[in-house]
Amino acid sequence: MAAPSYGLIATFETAPEIYHAAELVRDAGYKNWDVIAPCPLHGLDKAMGLKRSIVPRISLAGGLTGFCTGMSLIWWTGAYDYKLIVGGKPLFSPMFAFPVSYELTILFTAFATIIGMFVVNGLPRHYHPVLKYDQIKRGLDDTFFIVIEARDPRFNLANTTALLAKAGGKSIKELEA
Amino acid sequence: MSTPANSTAAPAGKALTIGLIGLAVTALAALLAPEKHGVALSYLVGVSYWTAIAIGMLLMILIHHITDASWSVVIRRQWEHGLAAFKWLFVLFLPLLILAWIKPGFVWPWMDKTHVLHGHGTVGTDILYLKKEGFLNIYTFTIMTLVFFGSWVWLSARLRKASFTQDSDGDVQWTYKNRFNAAIGLPIAALTLTFAAIYWIKSLEYHWFSTMYGVWFFANCARGALCGGVLIMVWLLNRGDYKGIINTNHFHSIGMLMLAFTVFWAYVTFSQYFLIWNANVPEETFWYNLRELNHDGTTNQWWYVGLVILFGHFVIPFCALLSYRFKVTPHIIRRIACWVLTIILIDLCYNILPALKDEHGDSLPFLSINLLWVLTSVIGVGGICIWAYLKSFPTTKLIPIRDPRVGESLTHHE
Repeated sequence: MAAPSYGLIATFETAPEIYHAAELVRDAGYKNWDVIAPCPLHGLDKAMGLKRSIVPRISLAGGLTGFCTGMSLIWWTGAYDYKLIVGGKPLFSPMFAFPVSYELTILFTAFATIIGMFVVNGLPRHYHPVLKYDQIKRGLDDTFFIVIEARDPRFNLANTTALLAKAGGKSIKELEA
Repeated sequence: MSTPANSTAAPAGKALTIGLIGLAVTALAALLAPEKHGVALSYLVGVSYWTAIAIGMLLMILIHHITDASWSVVIRRQWEHGLAAFKWLFVLFLPLLILAWIKPGFVWPWMDKTHVLHGHGTVGTDILYLKKEGFLNIYTFTIMTLVFFGSWVWLSARLRKASFTQDSDGDVQWTYKNRFNAAIGLPIAALTLTFAAIYWIKSLEYHWFSTMYGVWFFANCARGALCGGVLIMVWLLNRGDYKGIINTNHFHSIGMLMLAFTVFWAYVTFSQYFLIWNANVPEETFWYNLRELNHDGTTNQWWYVGLVILFGHFVIPFCALLSYRFKVTPHIIRRIACWVLTIILIDLCYNILPALKDEHGDSLPFLSINLLWVLTSVIGVGGICIWAYLKSFPTTKLIPIRDPRVGESLTHHE
C-alpha cells in the first residue's frame, strides 16, 4: 500500500458485541482508538476506559481568572491608578468589587467552557480519514465500528488485526490517512 | 424492595425518646433558668430549623411535580414521608403561640405596647410600629401562623394521598392531580414561607427592612431539604433498601442541586448585605451593626459568626460541591450535607439570637448558655420530626412503584 495507513476499522453488528469488543481493546492497552455508533450507548465510556473530560478544570481556571480580573480591575481603577472616593466608601472594598467579580467569573467560565470543549473535542472538523470508508454511513444507521489508529504505540498491523478479529470484528480494513 | 412494618419501629422509638428528653430539658430550662428569654428564642431557633427543612421538602415535591421531573421519583417518596412532621411542628409551635398571648412581648417585643425601646420611648409610641400595626399585631400573627401550618398540612396531605394511592391502583390520574396540587401549592408555599420568616424571625427587629428576607429563608429551606434527602439516600443505601435503585447519577443530580442552591443562598444573602452596606441608611444598617459591633465600637462575637457563615455556608460547600467525585461518593456527600445542615442552624441563630440584648442595647454574645438550649430544642423538635418520618416510612412502598416515570428514574443517567 502506497499511501500511509490511518489505522484499522472493524465492523460489529450489535450493541453487546461492541461493548465486549471495546473492553478487549481497552484491556489490550490501546489509547488512540474510538467507537463509531449510531446512537448513544450508556456505559460505553466505562467499557472504553474513558476518563471524565478535563473541560471542568478548564472552566474552573476560567472562573478563577474572571474572579481575579474583576477584583483587580476595581482595585486598579479605584484605589491605585485614579484614587477616587465614591459615596463615602473606602477606595477599595471586596463588597463593591464583588458584583463585577462574579459577573466576570461567570463570563470567563462560560468562555473557558465553550472554548475548552471545542479544543478538547477537536470540532469543527471538515475531514476525517474514516469518511473515505465506503460503509461508514452505516455507522449512522445500524452498524457499529471500532477504529484503531496506526499512531497508537501498541499498533501493529498483524497483532491489531488479530485482536479485532478475536473481538468479533467483521470486514477488518485498513484506512487510508 | 420489601419494607417490613417493623423495620423502622426501633429507630422510631429511639427518636421519640430522644426528642421527648430534649423537649423536657428545654421545658425545664424554660421554667428554671434565670434567663428565660434566651430559652424562648433558642426554642424558636429549634422549631424554625426543622420547619425550614420540612418546608424545603414540600418545595422539592412541588417542584418535582410542576417540572414533571423523572430522576427524583425514587427520592420523592422519602420527602413525602418527611412531610408527616408538619402536624407535629404545629403542636411544637403552640407553646410559642400561647406564650405570645399570656406574656405578650416576651418573644416578639412589638406585641407589648409598653415595651421600652432602647433610647426612645415605648413600642406604643413608636411611629415605626404604629405604621406597621395593621400587619404586626397579635391577631394577625396568630391567624397567619394558623394559616401557615394549615396550608402546609393541607398541601402535604393532598400530595401524600395522591402519591400513596397511586401505589395501589396505578392510576395516572394521581400524577395529574399532583401536578395540579403543585401549580396551586407553589405560590401558597412561597407566600406562607415568606410571611412565616417575616412574622417569626424578622419581626424580632421590627424596625428593620429587607425585601430579601423571605428569599433568604427559602434558600435555607431548599438547602436543608436537599441535605436531608442526601442523608436519607445514604442511610437507605447503606441499609440495603436502595440497593439497585439509587445509582451514581442520582447523587450527581442532587449534588448539582445542592451546588445551585448554595450559589442561590449566597446570591440573596450577599444582595441583602451589599444593598444595606451600600445605601448605608441607619434604619437598615442597625441590624448588621448589632451583629458586628458593640455600642463602644468594639467587635462582638457575632462578627465572627458572620464570617463562619460566609465561609462555611458558601465558600466551603461551593468549592466542595464543584467536584464530581465528592458529589457521587456517598460518604463524602453525606459529610457535606451534615456540614451544611449545621451551618443552616448557625445561620438561624445569627438571625434570631442577637435579638437578646444587654442594658446598653448590645447583642448578647453567641457563646453562651443559650447554645445549650438551642441544642436541646433542636434535638427535641428533631427527635419528634424524625419519629414522624420513621413512623410514616413503613406505611407505603419504598418508592412510588407505579409512578409513570419510575422507570426513567431507576435508569437515571447523565
